[in-house]
Amino acid sequence: MTSPERDPSAALAADSAVPLVRVRDLAITHDGEITAAPASISFDIAAGEVVLLLGPSGSGKSTLTLALNGLIPHAVPAEVTGSVEVDGVETTATTVAELSTRVAMVFQDPDAQLVTGTLLDEVAFGPENLRMPVAEVLERAESALRRVGLWERRTENPDRLSGGGRQRLAIACALAMGSPLLVLDEPTANLDPRGIEEVYAALAELVRSGDRAILLVEHNLDAAVGFVDRVVVLDQDGRLTADGTVDEVLRDRADELHEMGVWLPVSGIAALRLRRAGYALDPLPLTPAELHAGLEAAEAPAAGVSSRFARSTTGPGTAPPPVVERRSAATAPPPVVERRSAATAPPPVVERGSAGTGPPPVVERRSAGTGPPPVVERRSAATGPPPVVERGSAATETKRAPVITVRDLTLRRGRVEVLHGVSLDIAAGDFVAVVGPNGAGKTSLIQALAGVVPPPRGTVHVDGLDVGRSDARTLSSRIGFVFQNPEHQFIAHTVFDEVAHGLRLRHLPDDEVRERTMALLDRFGLAAKAGTHPFLLSGGQKRRLSVGTALVAGAPVLVLDEPTFGQDRARADELLRLLGELNAEGTTVIVVTHDMQLVTEYARRTIVLADGRLLAAGATADVFGDSDLIERAGLRLPPLRRALHGLVRHPGLAGTVRLADLPDAAAGGLP
Amino acid sequence: MTAGDSLTTADAVPAASDPYAQRVAAPPVRFLYALNPLAKLAAPLPVMLLLIFVRDVATPVAFLVLSYAILLVGVSFTRRLVALLAALPVAALVIALGFSLWTDASRVDQSVAVVQLGSWTLYGGALAIGLATGLRLAAIVALTLMAGLSTTGPDLVRATVQQLRVPYRIGYTALAAFRFVPRFGHELDVIRQAHRVRGAHGGRGPFAAVARWFGYVVPLMAGAIRHAERVALAMDARAFGAHPDRTERHLVPFRARDVVFIVLFWATAAALFWIFFPWGLA
Repeated sequence: MTSPERDPSAALAADSAVPLVRVRDLAITHDGEITAAPASISFDIAAGEVVLLLGPSGSGKSTLTLALNGLIPHAVPAEVTGSVEVDGVETTATTVAELSTRVAMVFQDPDAQLVTGTLLDEVAFGPENLRMPVAEVLERAESALRRVGLWERRTENPDRLSGGGRQRLAIACALAMGSPLLVLDEPTANLDPRGIEEVYAALAELVRSGDRAILLVEHNLDAAVGFVDRVVVLDQDGRLTADGTVDEVLRDRADELHEMGVWLPVSGIAALRLRRAGYALDPLPLTPAELHAGLEAAEAPAAGVSSRFARSTTGPGTAPPPVVERRSAATAPPPVVERRSAATAPPPVVERGSAGTGPPPVVERRSAGTGPPPVVERRSAATGPPPVVERGSAATETKRAPVITVRDLTLRRGRVEVLHGVSLDIAAGDFVAVVGPNGAGKTSLIQALAGVVPPPRGTVHVDGLDVGRSDARTLSSRIGFVFQNPEHQFIAHTVFDEVAHGLRLRHLPDDEVRERTMALLDRFGLAAKAGTHPFLLSGGQKRRLSVGTALVAGAPVLVLDEPTFGQDRARADELLRLLGELNAEGTTVIVVTHDMQLVTEYARRTIVLADGRLLAAGATADVFGDSDLIERAGLRLPPLRRALHGLVRHPGLAGTVRLADLPDAAAGGLP
Repeated sequence: MTAGDSLTTADAVPAASDPYAQRVAAPPVRFLYALNPLAKLAAPLPVMLLLIFVRDVATPVAFLVLSYAILLVGVSFTRRLVALLAALPVAALVIALGFSLWTDASRVDQSVAVVQLGSWTLYGGALAIGLATGLRLAAIVALTLMAGLSTTGPDLVRATVQQLRVPYRIGYTALAAFRFVPRFGHELDVIRQAHRVRGAHGGRGPFAAVARWFGYVVPLMAGAIRHAERVALAMDARAFGAHPDRTERHLVPFRARDVVFIVLFWATAAALFWIFFPWGLA
């Protein structure tokens, strides 16, 4: 990915200038909320500076971005204390329109930013609203479109652009406003890997020319870290905890941030882990390239270095690093936990033996009072089937009887053939990822598996049942399907009815319905919400409910369509942990996803599709070990793989694709 | 264009692929493209209103012929135009038959019996009424096609803003809202799939169908409101509504030719109405 070198003098020069934005003691409370997020923060942004804003979810990052151009409080009702000054003018004392010439915004969803019918009209929309003369409108539109490489396509409908293209267009629209500050709120969260690359290439181009200050809220740090000057970090309660250069904040305080629940670049997490294992990585690498170079320069740890010594190299005052817990979900399923509580609570450590009796699992805070602590039972359930992913067992896995068989599946949508003769087996209890570029037929494949789109008869069998001949009711007891947006599949008015629906369809007695529904709600940490309307749940709760409803009929197979798309990392992580648990209990899990690192962390097997054909199906490590194949499929290697691939000095690490497989002090004795 | 222009939603044309696409340049003889959208609406409007009250067959036929002539000269000769022009008389005939069956036989001219089935008779008078109704509707639709086939949604909005002084905040917001339509269509498809997978079928028959559709409304509305809020924020952030007016890059002028078109059309229409008076009302 592009990570242009910044000229450090640009940032230094910027520091001395008058701040473009001055935020003082800012606290924002949304209508209907009790606590303020952000809460009392102060910082400046100077002209030309590139600032990365980090924080765990719920810390108020998006809220802060809306306050910078006055949308809060002018368009979104909220209680604001403290002040935001843009060019010396209080945002409350002026209008959003006036501020739009100082602060331009790019939002997360590219579709929600389109207003007109052609690229040119779209970019001209802002300057037109500012009543600029036609000649100047056109001049601005042209230069903005040229900067993001879309000028040639100016007469086209924005709908015809890819997701990455539309987000580049949104950047062009922001540029055309002529504002000295560009605020981007998770601009790549809704994009596939190729789109993310496109957007970052465009951003890198902007940064290189250095004429705009940029405030970037982003979870995909692997790409961003290369060109930011400064990092501002909000903590769980929305307070400012760090504000400094990348070195000062990300490299020196990585452990602390990670513990807070701030997402670090995968390379950084890997490096923390390797450090504890005794590799001397200083300064801390943050990009794949840096990690690669750092490892080539570092000695391998002497054999027999005990974990205690290794840990001391991380420096003084570091708590037992929590890196492992978050990622190791697959191996030791912790309970369903909302991230915010996970971050503040003592890390749910970790000594293997004590897992059953260990500290009581943190249940989501709101429901804690009446909360269901059924987790212990769950733990014991987990002791049954072996907890996921021992690489050695991969061979034995494949010998297990397949729960899904696909034979020569050809599928049409309208007149277009979207799948051509796909054949594959999926073993019971497996965790399978389906990957491929946009339009490769991933969604079509899993929809055919679950009968969402009926496959031709005899081509797909789930648990011995011919999907092409089965009705929805029978199918739902064999395979559960979770749509990308959980709201789409909610059909009842309470959370209880939502889950009970699947059981009532099977004409079970009322008592049994009640009992099984409550058990499932307990299991997913939703018991306290039984009477709530499903649409009123939080995002993470909705997702859990949708998984629960797919499973309540007893389906041994769970299929999910891009479950992490458009979600922040914390929520994605929570979901994957849940899936890891379910898988450990024996549920076969199949996910479609674009997130390659996520695939490699969780999925035991990977299916690669390209142009409606099966390109490869095999153990995840083997699939991602074959760089050629990944390249041919139009995919990108996950960051860790990119960093470790071809290591000369440490051949033992070169084949590693999962963080959990890296040597680690705490995990030294584990398989 | 069909998605963008409410006037043409009456006809059952498959939506054009891109409602915003620039029209390909047409030769000057295709004069309708060069007219102001308001002129193309203002000219046939009084005629359409009058046609509602007409009861004979000849008057609507005359206006059907007139609008066919204008369309054949005034807009590009495409497969879509041919299909439309062919479909319209067929639709008129179907409506004619339908209405003639529906008409109260005791109140029509019973001199000619066209079909006799047992005790039931289809009289020529009923057929005449049906035919008049069908042709009347066809003529009205054909008149709307003059604007419908030669105007883009954005141009219509620009004309209403520039000539009718409709506040641009309303006009351009409506234009932005057109973007929602295909999005919601897609979303509805997904919701229906999801509900089917959940086994929310609820049985067959019209009542179950109604219940089912109500089930789609909540998720659809939730998505729609959220999307609309986001679009509104994005528009605000780009200074939409900042000033009482905004730069118009595309001017849609109201010129002498527009006046000429309207006057000529009204004159012709008046002549036709005069010839066919009293339009079967007597």
